[in-house]
Amino acid sequence: MRKTVALTLTVLMLSLSVVSVMAKTFGDGITLEKMTSVSELLENGDAYVGQRVQVRGMIVDVCASRGCWIYVAGEKPFEKIRVKVKDGEIIFPLEARGIEAVVEGTLEKFDLSREEVIQRKRHHAEEQGKEFDPATVTSGKIFFQIRGLGALIEGI
Amino acid sequence: MNWRRLNHSLHRDIGFLCIGLTLLYALSGIAVNHMHDWNANYSIEQFNLQIDPLPPGVVNSTQIQQILRQLGETRISKKHFQPDPENLWLYADKRMIRIHLPSGNVQAEKSQRRPFWYRLNFLHLNHAKQAWTWVADIYAGGLFLLALTGMLLLPKRADLKRRALMLSLSGIVIPVFFLLLYY
Repeated sequence: MRKTVALTLTVLMLSLSVVSVMAKTFGDGITLEKMTSVSELLENGDAYVGQRVQVRGMIVDVCASRGCWIYVAGEKPFEKIRVKVKDGEIIFPLEARGIEAVVEGTLEKFDLSREEVIQRKRHHAEEQGKEFDPATVTSGKIFFQIRGLGALIEGI
Repeated sequence: MNWRRLNHSLHRDIGFLCIGLTLLYALSGIAVNHMHDWNANYSIEQFNLQIDPLPPGVVNSTQIQQILRQLGETRISKKHFQPDPENLWLYADKRMIRIHLPSGNVQAEKSQRRPFWYRLNFLHLNHAKQAWTWVADIYAGGLFLLALTGMLLLPKRADLKRRALMLSLSGIVIPVFFLLLYY
């Protein structure tokens, strides 16, 4: 009996260990030939809302709990764009932080009230296990986000 | 072979076949449900450190090297990002270091995959896609058959028959109740 249990566990662990978890392509992968800069999307986003776009840049942050969003750095200082994917559809690994990626998805525009910004930031802080002070939010916010459909992450 | 015997054999064999996958989905299911309380995919350690304050603004490579020296980092990383003039994020070897320049507060974060749970969730959430989707579909079919054959496993004793009926009904009523409550 003991031998059977040990053998079953060994087979289970070996089966799990051969599963590749180092996938380079996520979701649909890359389909577009033309890349759009993050700066362009942040500055002239209205022209791209609803369109499939491709951006390239360093992944600067990843959702630690579900891998359901990333931030991609822009070309200019302090620029970044959020890429949100459906929970479970694409899971970005935490190891992707600091790595170059090509990401594709549909551009969305958000026009949030102050309360909505607080709700979002509170949720974000909870995910990251950090504290959040609602007093730091003084107004609503308009921003662009990519609804992620596919990505290619180099060297992961 | 009569239908009772066939049903019993089917239920038993499908049950055996489903043991491994049921354990996988059950364990991962609990882990995924409680992701907000415990990160099953990664163990994340955080350290707070202190360096000399720096003026806000775009940080140059010399300043980054100074910061890394103060942090005792032997490997000089060129990967960095500034979300705003006051903050600097550095990336090195599975670590992310967040620095608040005006105060010199440093928050270093080291993440490590939990090999067992990460792989379990990888399969449960069908991150593998491809042929694994078929395995998961076949497993779902197996569970469906398990339920159907289970319903036909009627005991002969009247008290056991009543218990079987009550338990089966409870299993149906519970999700319906929560659907009415939350949907």
